[in-house]
Amino acid sequence: MNPLDNKENSAGEFSYSGLGDIVFMKAEKFIDTVLNWSRGWSLWPVTFGTSCCAIEMMTFGATKVDADRMGVLFVGDSPRQSDLILVSGTITKKMARRLLNVYEQMPSPKYVIAVGACNISGGLYHDSYNTIAGIDRIMPVDVYIPGCPPRPEQFQDAVRVLRKLIQQNEIKRYAKQSS
Amino acid sequence: MPSKVVDALKDSFKDNVTVLSDNGVEDVIVLSDKKLLKEAAKLIKKIHDIVFLITVVDRNPTFEIGYVFSNYVDKSILNLRVNIMQDDLSIDSITSVFPSADWEEREAYDMFGIKFNGHPSLKRILLPEDWPGHPLRKDFKVTDDVRNWTGLDLKF
Amino acid sequence: MEKQKGVILNIGPVHPATHGVLKLIADLEGDTIDNIKVEIGFLHRGKEKMAEMRYFSNYYPIVDKLDYVSALQMEILFASVVEKAAGIEIPPRAVYIRTIMAEIQRIMSHLVFVGSFGMDVGNYTGFIWAFREREELMTVVEAISGGRLAPMYICNGGTFYDLPENFSYMLSPVLDRIEKKVKNEYATLFQKNNVFIMRSKSVGIIDKQLVKQLGITGPNMRAAGIERDIRRIDPYLAYEEMEFEVPTEEDGDAYSRFLIRIREIIESIKIIRQAMKKLPAGSYKKPVPWLLKIPAKYTLVRHEVSKGEMAMHMVTDGGMMPYRLKIRSPTFFSLKALEKVLVGSRIADIVAVIASIDPVMGEVDR
Repeated sequence: MNPLDNKENSAGEFSYSGLGDIVFMKAEKFIDTVLNWSRGWSLWPVTFGTSCCAIEMMTFGATKVDADRMGVLFVGDSPRQSDLILVSGTITKKMARRLLNVYEQMPSPKYVIAVGACNISGGLYHDSYNTIAGIDRIMPVDVYIPGCPPRPEQFQDAVRVLRKLIQQNEIKRYAKQSS
Repeated sequence: MPSKVVDALKDSFKDNVTVLSDNGVEDVIVLSDKKLLKEAAKLIKKIHDIVFLITVVDRNPTFEIGYVFSNYVDKSILNLRVNIMQDDLSIDSITSVFPSADWEEREAYDMFGIKFNGHPSLKRILLPEDWPGHPLRKDFKVTDDVRNWTGLDLKF
Repeated sequence: MEKQKGVILNIGPVHPATHGVLKLIADLEGDTIDNIKVEIGFLHRGKEKMAEMRYFSNYYPIVDKLDYVSALQMEILFASVVEKAAGIEIPPRAVYIRTIMAEIQRIMSHLVFVGSFGMDVGNYTGFIWAFREREELMTVVEAISGGRLAPMYICNGGTFYDLPENFSYMLSPVLDRIEKKVKNEYATLFQKNNVFIMRSKSVGIIDKQLVKQLGITGPNMRAAGIERDIRRIDPYLAYEEMEFEVPTEEDGDAYSRFLIRIREIIESIKIIRQAMKKLPAGSYKKPVPWLLKIPAKYTLVRHEVSKGEMAMHMVTDGGMMPYRLKIRSPTFFSLKALEKVLVGSRIADIVAVIASIDPVMGEVDR
């Protein structure tokens, strides 16, 4: 069976269609695929928690939901050793430059999850004078989590979606740097 | 106990003090001359320990500055109100009498641009130093320009 | 910051120990702090301005996010302001439901404190345990209101829904379990833990004088030995009919600030049990029109929330929205103490002292 044919079907939760394709790809893409496969399993986040969503992010790391078993270890909290930034909470105009500072310190490839309505479109604070209506105005975003604030299970889902995107080489931003 | 302060204020400032009964809920003492504020604060300090909050209300062209004093002994509070005009937005700072007023005064300066004379470090507290305008004034409208601005050009 | 002999260390605004977005600029001489400045405002979302653009009923979701770990208390405070201004009497059942919810929220808030304080002084087990207990209460809140962190349960005139029928069967075992765990397990984990005691005892002492100077309220004040509680001296909701203690400690250090919270959890459990027994039957809500018009007046209401004395000063002008809403945040006053108590201490103490003050930046910056 040619794995390229049923790419749609094999993109389930526990299958790695990226690896299935290796027979037919160039060496460059092969390295990318293997690297991305491994990246997907160890997403260490910078917990950029500013407000309400940060408390649900703490719950995501605590007992009931337990981020650790998904490879999301809340350990270092240093941007220099992280692959993922969880922007949880409203970003104000005073904070915007600090957010970019942290983002720029992270080594490439880096992935962004925008948590909560504030970071998608401004949410509740769409008509406030001091908030940024959506962080995609200042930085790239890979996965959005809706909700105000989202449930901890939604964080789990976002990590699952992000892992799938990474492992299927869907995030094209780093195609050049990582090869 | 609170009536004692009111009497003391009435005694020393005579006509400059009026007591408004605000719908029978809380009494508000209105001080007509803003230069007397510091002396009034010294009188109030005898009974009340802290500035509980400072509310500024923009009623163009006057700005009402409402001080609420509170203490650690009982539940009594004291409302003091001073009106200042828009063309001279300055008032004496009471930080030297009530150190707890420090950040509240900075916030009033931040949000309304009211100068507190004699404040040790009158800087913006919530917004960056180079933020344009004073947002809680009534003439500050949240326009699309303000909302779309990302603030990346701010230095502080 | 005139003399710059030593090193200037910026802590925050992005640092796991600063509980969100607090920034400290420390002037160091070796390991000792010479001078320290607190910078806030990284979460200023303009809530006071937004109040002027919302109807009285539509402001609740924003109030929720003031002190986001005790959202229900914020809702109750705002509801009290609106009801006092509009002259609405709420039915007795609603009063009791609100009392129960406020105390549940106080326990949850203090559990977050215990967890994050534990985590900051290196007791990660404390974090895991406290969040485990909090999650059980969260399930109850979720069953009652439908929401987790921002429940949107309180509305003008009462509450949105009645309590579910099996409410006491749901809540009582959780309370029993939490009481047992706080009294036994937490005592082992914190009060008998030498490392924890060494990290927190005689660290960051906020004494009576400093409290009165800065206007600090709430648990931080009671840890310094001042017995004062708005629930006791100016009772609101159903607190007049409840029996509870106001715990005080003498030392005013980080350790006694921790003990105060632990003891308040026990007191809150007592209050909830009494309120559940006395819960009257009847309506849970007085029908109030969604759009209210409130005549021109000034209304000040203060409540004892989990962080201290919080107040809202609302100025109305006869319209359907507030003309001005001033929010008095208790932590806004407490944080200034950092500039005083941290001078002369070591860098490692900064984390413990910040955590012991229990700042929630949503409420500080508004």
